[in-house]
Amino acid sequence: MPERDVCIIGGGMSRWGVREASIIDMAQEAAKECFDEVPALKKKDVDGLLFASSYCGRRSFQVNIAPVIAERIGIKPTSMCTRLDTLCAGGSSGIILATGLIKSGMADVVVVAGGEKLYTPQRWETYYSELASIDHDWDGAQGMGLPPPYFSMTAQEHMKRYGTTKEQLGAVSVKNRRNGSTNPKGHFQKAVTMEEVMASRVIVPPLSLFDCCPITDGCAAVLLTYEEKAKELTDRPLVYIRGTAQVSLHSMSMNWPGEHLADWLHLRTAAKRAYEMARVGPDDIDVAMTHDCFTISEIVEMEDLGFCKKGEGGPFVESGQSDFGGKLPVNTDGGLLSCGHPFGATGIRQAREMLHQLQGRAIRQVEGAEIGLTHNLSGLNVEHTILIYGREP
Amino acid sequence: MPVPGVPILEGKYPSTMDLYPLEAKEFNRIHQFYENLRQKRFTTTKCKKCGHVPFPPRVVCPKCNSDDLEWVDLPTQGKVLQFTEEVAGVPLGFEAPLIHALIDLGEGRKLVSRIINCKEGQLKEGDAVKLAVFDIPPMIIEKKGGVMDEAKRVFFAFEPVKR
Repeated sequence: MPERDVCIIGGGMSRWGVREASIIDMAQEAAKECFDEVPALKKKDVDGLLFASSYCGRRSFQVNIAPVIAERIGIKPTSMCTRLDTLCAGGSSGIILATGLIKSGMADVVVVAGGEKLYTPQRWETYYSELASIDHDWDGAQGMGLPPPYFSMTAQEHMKRYGTTKEQLGAVSVKNRRNGSTNPKGHFQKAVTMEEVMASRVIVPPLSLFDCCPITDGCAAVLLTYEEKAKELTDRPLVYIRGTAQVSLHSMSMNWPGEHLADWLHLRTAAKRAYEMARVGPDDIDVAMTHDCFTISEIVEMEDLGFCKKGEGGPFVESGQSDFGGKLPVNTDGGLLSCGHPFGATGIRQAREMLHQLQGRAIRQVEGAEIGLTHNLSGLNVEHTILIYGREP
Repeated sequence: MPVPGVPILEGKYPSTMDLYPLEAKEFNRIHQFYENLRQKRFTTTKCKKCGHVPFPPRVVCPKCNSDDLEWVDLPTQGKVLQFTEEVAGVPLGFEAPLIHALIDLGEGRKLVSRIINCKEGQLKEGDAVKLAVFDIPPMIIEKKGGVMDEAKRVFFAFEPVKR
């Protein structure tokens, strides 16, 4: 069978936040919205399910969750039904794998879903479980499971080396919280001012409350299929997956691959590969969803994704280049800072927003967007994952 | 000790909630690292075939796939390149201030470690720090006949070198 072009045709989200719901409940909410977007689809057409979740085993006491989700959402997969875990990039990993399965003919119509129920009945367990997110025996045992200390060192390094300011960090938060204020599915709908950001409680200097994404419950789902099937199932413009990359160069803080903590070699490596596969460059990207787990993350990402020069990420965001009316709007649905971050769901939330942007029906639409990029950083900055979407294959 | 909500776990050791490594030889082939740590030695494995010295230690050389490895010592003193002090929101099992530093160990090695025996505001970039070894709670291992064996454990951080 010749290689097939792969399209994303539908997307859905549960409400995200501190939810009075289980992961199984939220997976059904996300899948419902996803199926509702593609009314011509019959559930028997779906032959694959990939479910991204890192913490279902630990916080919902449920491993092998994919068959449970398939049964609850009413599908009977015949090509693939599995869970995968890449922490913060799990959803994007699922989309990359589904693309490969469909492209090769091993699957035809695949639901990629994911999510987490992170809030446990007692809060100590919510935070304590984070220690499993990183290299457990080495970094976890050093108390680095909660990421603010590590990203605070990244921010310090960026400030020292390039003169980045606390206000420039804050500009990311103000932009993303403004974008998220009209997203009914996100964790927060409240915009914040620079004054509020600067006055917010210090978490780990120089990072304050509004520099950090929250811990969030939620699920998301998207539907992928091959081009001909997509044309049968939807009258909306087709959105193709054009380029992908996932790069892992180290697993723990000792073996950091860059020259310094604000030098993300693994991200540049991923960007080069994804741009080459998609036959585009950074200047061709009209809209991007990048992993703003911390404000400093989005600043470094602007640089190492090639949207601006190294060291100029601060002025780039401060001058509005990553906002509507600038060079390319980034995190148009509010990003992690507004939507929150139920790990396995985040890449899928980004894909859903990208689908809506490239079909011209996003809540905050980038006029004429044709090519978009989504990006995840995962773990203690140990992996970078990129997808490039386009209106042409 | 009663476990509210899960009374069946009363008196049990749930290793999946243990923030430290399962160091005992029954569970860990790099058990020797912790034995060396107990002697205040900071060690890793060196490949006898290709000479590669990775950290953390391995059971197989990641470069040449040889499993003929030997234990070698790493420096136990380093210099603080960068650090952070977390005073609020410190995770369970740690005390404020929770200080982490990027340490230059020399020989081209850097690592991020916790800094202990150090007050908030005391540490400075460029400060010398040295290996600190401390006892952590034992693992409770079930032996034949249901006998519970306490496997003692140590772990490490770094601490300021007193001037």
